[in-house]
Amino acid sequence: MVTLELRINIMFKVFSYSVIAVFILLLSAVMAVSFGAANISSGDVLSVLFNLVGADTDVSDIKQRIILELRIPRLILAFLTGAGLSLAGAVLQTVTRNPLADPYLFGIASGASFGAVLVIASIGGGAGWAVGQMSITTGAFIGAALSVLIVLSLAGRGVQIERMLLAGVAASFMFSAGTSLVLYASDPEAAASLLFWTLGSFTRANWDNLWVPSVVIISCLILFLGYSRALKAVLAGDETAKTLGVNVTRLRMGMLLLSSLLTATLVANTGGIGFVGLMIPHIVRRLLQSHQQYVLLACVLFGGVFMVWVDVLARSLVANNELPIGVITAAIGSVFFLLVLRKRSWIDS
Amino acid sequence: MALLTAQNLSWHVNTKAIVEDVNFTINKGQFVGLIGPNGAGKSSLMRCLYRVNAPTSGQVLFEQQDVWQLSAKDNAKNMSVILQEHSDHLGLTVRDVVSQGLTPHKSLFQWDDAQDVATINAVMQQMDIAELKHTPFQLLSGGEKQRVMLARALAQNTELVIMDEPTNHLDVHYQTDMMAKVKSLNKTILASFHDLNLAAAFCDHILVLDKGKLVASGAPSQVLTQTLINDVFRTQAIVDAHPVNGHPRITYQYHV
Repeated sequence: MVTLELRINIMFKVFSYSVIAVFILLLSAVMAVSFGAANISSGDVLSVLFNLVGADTDVSDIKQRIILELRIPRLILAFLTGAGLSLAGAVLQTVTRNPLADPYLFGIASGASFGAVLVIASIGGGAGWAVGQMSITTGAFIGAALSVLIVLSLAGRGVQIERMLLAGVAASFMFSAGTSLVLYASDPEAAASLLFWTLGSFTRANWDNLWVPSVVIISCLILFLGYSRALKAVLAGDETAKTLGVNVTRLRMGMLLLSSLLTATLVANTGGIGFVGLMIPHIVRRLLQSHQQYVLLACVLFGGVFMVWVDVLARSLVANNELPIGVITAAIGSVFFLLVLRKRSWIDS
Repeated sequence: MALLTAQNLSWHVNTKAIVEDVNFTINKGQFVGLIGPNGAGKSSLMRCLYRVNAPTSGQVLFEQQDVWQLSAKDNAKNMSVILQEHSDHLGLTVRDVVSQGLTPHKSLFQWDDAQDVATINAVMQQMDIAELKHTPFQLLSGGEKQRVMLARALAQNTELVIMDEPTNHLDVHYQTDMMAKVKSLNKTILASFHDLNLAAAFCDHILVLDKGKLVASGAPSQVLTQTLINDVFRTQAIVDAHPVNGHPRITYQYHV
């Protein structure tokens, strides 16, 4: 029997981890908001936050507006993107039992990019931005859906993993070719803004376009948590999962669709940001060790905080210029993998 | 009491019969061995029994109810299955793998409660894997992995346990250890074997499958005869009684 003492012990552990998590999150948030072109200190950020809850500290109006209307939405979008892509990656890796699966491997992201780029190119890169945000999202969704359709129609009966991965690689290359073609065909000015978009950025963050990704990510997270027992059973292999009572085909299909929805929403808002969905679940699994049941929640926290700091790097590495997010995540991600491989071969020998 | 019944069971791939018109009954509490040469259709037959292969004709009945009339989830409350090959489980620990056994008993959003934690700890204790609790499953040896599988089946808490070649790849110690542990479960067991001596030692009843058909069924001493081994396994053998336990002992004749 489980003693009361053990139960209190477990509750205390969960509580203390949550406190640490919230602390890291808030600390990152306050520090990240203070980085950037305008000179703002962490103190300014705290003052603005206190003003929100009724205090009256003196911060200049301009600083207040920069913090509230530019920096904070941007921080939230960065967090959502990191969290969402990591979640999608973790779930795809689980349902395919393939540690190399991520939203990019299945062509979901390339499909979404292609759809979005096509819309941007046709409405023009300049004033069209604001008007076109909704249609860019729609374009991204159609592209992602198309790619999922291709992958599923080639996945065969029972949605076989190997066929799905191969179909995903093919779809991914096809849509990348389409994106390149659109870039090649557009005039230089539009091509430059398209290119910047495909490399990923959080510059378009504002309070109005945050709610769609928030709702999608929270709903997906809730569904993923609800199905976490079935997801764990799938790791035993398709046949064993069936004998554990899981409808494997339906689960895999559903999870693939949810991951596509997540990815498409994020790509539509931020462009192409690779390697996060692949790398974060790996790190999280390693860190959690014997607490694998918290992988999804840890991916949200770790992926989100990681992306917040990537955005800080993007804004501060080069003075008076902003680097594309995708470039930084790809650079960090590839170095990370080289290190993991090096360590592995070192252990093996 | 009949627990599992195969009734005129056939399973075809395209038009080829892999399992053909098989009939047998497993009673509650029996330890049944399924033997047969490579390619006889043992695994395919077992897949029909545990509701992964849908029969082309005939039925599989668990307590007189067709397994295909149950959902996968309800069927998983009746029987647990241990396969030959195990997935790597993507870093899951022994404890996580054992807890997979609770899957059919839980609904969405239902986490492990105190009783579940106690169950998981108890079955790990029973299978001597408590100290491996936090070890990643993929780092275990073959024998340890099989113990984890048994613990998972115990957590699944089913009357029937089906095992495909449970002693495959195991050394002599783990073979006998595994079979002793299976015997100690006090469950109804159906297991396939390549090692006829192990089958003779541990089973109450033996089914012999050859080219998809059931060619013999009965107690080990009735079924495991020189003639049958010669006919079905195409091997010359001497069958006598085991000097200690008295069950049939098979000695193969090698042409050296």
